[in-house]
Amino acid sequence: MAATLTANAPARPRKLLASRRTRVGILYALPVVVYLLVLFVYPILSTLFLSLKNTDGSLTLHWYVDALTGINLSVLLTTVRISAETALFSLVFGFVLANAISRLKPLWAGVAMLIVVVPHFISALVRTYGWIILLGDKGLVNDTLAKLWVPGAPFQLLYNEIGVVIGTTSVMLPYTVLLLYSVMRGVDRRLLAAAASMGAGRVTIFRRVYLPLVAPGLASAGLLSFILSLGYYITPALMGGPDQTMIASLINQQVMKQNQWNGAAAEGVVLLLLTFAGLLLVKVVTSFGASRKKRSAS
Amino acid sequence: MAEFGVVTPSVKVAGGKLPTATGKPLSVVALRKTYGDVVAVDEASMEIAAGEFVTFLGASGSGKTTTLMMIAGFCEPDSGTITVGDRDVTRLAPQKRGLGFVFQQYLLFPHMTVSENVAFPLTLRGVPKDEIRRRVGETLEIAGLSGFGGRKPRELSGGQQQRVALCRALVYRPPVILMDEPLGALDKKLRDQLQIEIKAIQQELGLTVVYVTHDQEEALVLSDRIAVMRNGLIEQFDTPRELFERPRTPFVADFLGAANFLPGRVLQNTDEHTVVRLDQSGGLLTARRHELASGTSVKVAVQPGRLRACAPDDGFCTGTVETATYVGTLVRAGVRIDGGDAPLLRLEVPAGRGPVTGERVGVTVDPEDVNLFPVEQGG
Amino acid sequence: MMELRRTLTGRIALTAIATVILLFLALPIVVILVTSFSNNAFAAFPPDSWTLGWYKALFADGSKWPAALSLSAFVAALSTVFSLIIGVTAATALTRSELPLRSAVYALVLGPLLIPQIVTALGLFLLFEPASMLGSPIAIALGHTVLASPIAVLILVATLRGIDERLEDAAASMGAGRLTIARRITFPLAAPGMIAAAIFSFITSFDEFYISQFLSSVDTVTLPVQIYNSLTFDIDPSVTAISAILIAFAILALALVALVRWLGSGRQDSLLSVENTAGIAAPGGEAV
Repeated sequence: MAATLTANAPARPRKLLASRRTRVGILYALPVVVYLLVLFVYPILSTLFLSLKNTDGSLTLHWYVDALTGINLSVLLTTVRISAETALFSLVFGFVLANAISRLKPLWAGVAMLIVVVPHFISALVRTYGWIILLGDKGLVNDTLAKLWVPGAPFQLLYNEIGVVIGTTSVMLPYTVLLLYSVMRGVDRRLLAAAASMGAGRVTIFRRVYLPLVAPGLASAGLLSFILSLGYYITPALMGGPDQTMIASLINQQVMKQNQWNGAAAEGVVLLLLTFAGLLLVKVVTSFGASRKKRSAS
Repeated sequence: MAEFGVVTPSVKVAGGKLPTATGKPLSVVALRKTYGDVVAVDEASMEIAAGEFVTFLGASGSGKTTTLMMIAGFCEPDSGTITVGDRDVTRLAPQKRGLGFVFQQYLLFPHMTVSENVAFPLTLRGVPKDEIRRRVGETLEIAGLSGFGGRKPRELSGGQQQRVALCRALVYRPPVILMDEPLGALDKKLRDQLQIEIKAIQQELGLTVVYVTHDQEEALVLSDRIAVMRNGLIEQFDTPRELFERPRTPFVADFLGAANFLPGRVLQNTDEHTVVRLDQSGGLLTARRHELASGTSVKVAVQPGRLRACAPDDGFCTGTVETATYVGTLVRAGVRIDGGDAPLLRLEVPAGRGPVTGERVGVTVDPEDVNLFPVEQGG
Repeated sequence: MMELRRTLTGRIALTAIATVILLFLALPIVVILVTSFSNNAFAAFPPDSWTLGWYKALFADGSKWPAALSLSAFVAALSTVFSLIIGVTAATALTRSELPLRSAVYALVLGPLLIPQIVTALGLFLLFEPASMLGSPIAIALGHTVLASPIAVLILVATLRGIDERLEDAAASMGAGRLTIARRITFPLAAPGMIAAAIFSFITSFDEFYISQFLSSVDTVTLPVQIYNSLTFDIDPSVTAISAILIAFAILALALVALVRWLGSGRQDSLLSVENTAGIAAPGGEAV
């Protein structure tokens, strides 16, 4: 009798408490979930449908054929090229700067970090405009180069790929510095001291100990700035020439000027897939780094 | 704020007597809690009297904290009932139980001063401002914190923070104050000092306290009664003296008294004594009378401090002193008993005339200090 | 790096390179601030002579800037309110409850931050165009909230995680009800995080370009779109002045965030410590 009582009674009240916390959770999660489903997921899904729809409503892949051939293909390749260049430069500069900040005295490190962070929150448009002023024929850069009697000055630094890469690199640089700085802070400096105690030289320590430790962080920082550049067009549009048209710019033109929504949708989906591939790589790299960290710890 | 006035009207009587002077302030019946297949607390029952200091003592995972959390209302039992005064609070939210709680991590509100922290429960109860100021002042004075009222918690040491937490829990005179290892984060010296303070405050104000700790010494210093817990079960709920001298299970004898255990078999019972033949030495040991039939396999439990050294062959066994460590007023000796390779028998004898290493000694004990536990067949 | 390149030349080289990279980040901003007071708004740096003319031109009759500025401010204010509502509820769900599919909700929240904004903008265009809501400030604000609310959620999740949940238990044990706990314990402790969330939501919306461009019409042009247009089509020299104002505004907002963070953290680090300055940029960093 007592046994049946205790066997039946327990489940109910515990479940009640759990479901109350669950109910609260669902209730409070509702606004964000509904909002993003309606204004984020649904629009992207309808973009996907549009990219597969013929003018008569039937299914087709020809918008993708359009997006991946001819001039559109070269725009896509340009986008990938400029993004790769940007990722490379912001990774190298970011590595040097983050490394310097992690070794500076606290006050200077704080000030340097401030100079990294503040531009991060100033509109990219405004920063791009700053570069346009700086890189013009009579801008500060060419002016200085001319004064230094650099042969060939003034250089053409605007409306070509040099300008675009300078501009987008300066936009992406804060991201990589912040990412790499946190990676470097995570490196156990005693490992370096340990390597030195075993007689390893500076170059050896850097190459054999430090670099492998930060490599996953470097890879994901590079990939992230690559992904962010893919969908970016403010700077390329303002600082580049016709040869630096980015896919995002093309999407914008197709909608605004040519009223070609399906084509724009297909290009959007291509961009989305490229981004997903990049994110997948980031995930692979980070889980690889995490598993290596775990192995070295055990 | 009115809701709290309705729920716990008694606490509005400023500085009044404990609200449940008649009934037991706290009783727990057949409390049970499982996490999946693991039984955290199994059929825990107890009644706690007004003004009593009760401690749940046990290792981590013994269910002591879970039991306390169920009483506080932070976790819900699968079955059983919890009664505070005359109210069944088993299914009530923590805020409706009217209890006090002191956490190990202090949990002072960082955005409030010490005074505001202590005043917080009073403001919830709609106590007038003057009254709040007076009672906060009084309480801080009791805890030796006068003059700290304007400080922020982070400006205080750990010991001071825990005193504030104590003040905050007792300022509104809850019928029972629950404390979850409140001294766990402090160093030994401070812990000893605060134990004395807590006990003094508890006695002065007549507080009913339920305390959780894993520290035997702390439990003995503070408690009127101790519930020794293991694997979700209350092994024994008794006064410290009873637990020490009349442990009901080998676990309690070991946990509190760090007893020596010797296997043996009941030889015979007299009116006052039970005689046991020890398996190892074959010696005879006389215990006070236990209700055990002759031939029963038993574990003999004797605390090191109750054993005495005597001339060889005068005691229940004889052996060679293998270790003798001088620890202030005592000598801790380890004796290798003849005829077997059992663990060393541990003795604690007054320093000065203690045994020396290599000496042959007999070991004797008062029958009153011997506890016998029957060994289950096959166990 | 304690054992690496501690030589004097190494340190000088490192400092020099770091300075050049920092200049690379700072120069475009400095040059705008200086040029906005220059007689010649384009090129020519440093300026030959100084003027406040561009700032006056901003508010001259027929100027498009006041309308763009007030539209952007209105839109940003609206999406800040939306983002805070979404952020507070979502952060509560993610930190103070048992939520089924928690990681799916997280992925949903991170989505708008990872997916190219142009794709989000295109999707929103396809949503609002058939509803003939293009040019509606409400539509733009709703669109900006898609980007701003995840930031608010991340900041507030980090904020609520930073508040010991047991403080709320402690208050409950003394008899405080749910509302009282929220009002007297959680809210005061979360206030710095909420201010930061509000500021970052506002900045996100205020600076947003892609969604605005897709959703704006001839009459409703937000500030970033107006800047973009004036850099590509009608060359309006007062764009330097408005850019300078935006820079000042951003610096002011960041200073406010830094101050609130610093006060909220109990002034443990110095105001200019790396933890504090880097933390401004990644307010929700711990949550990801």
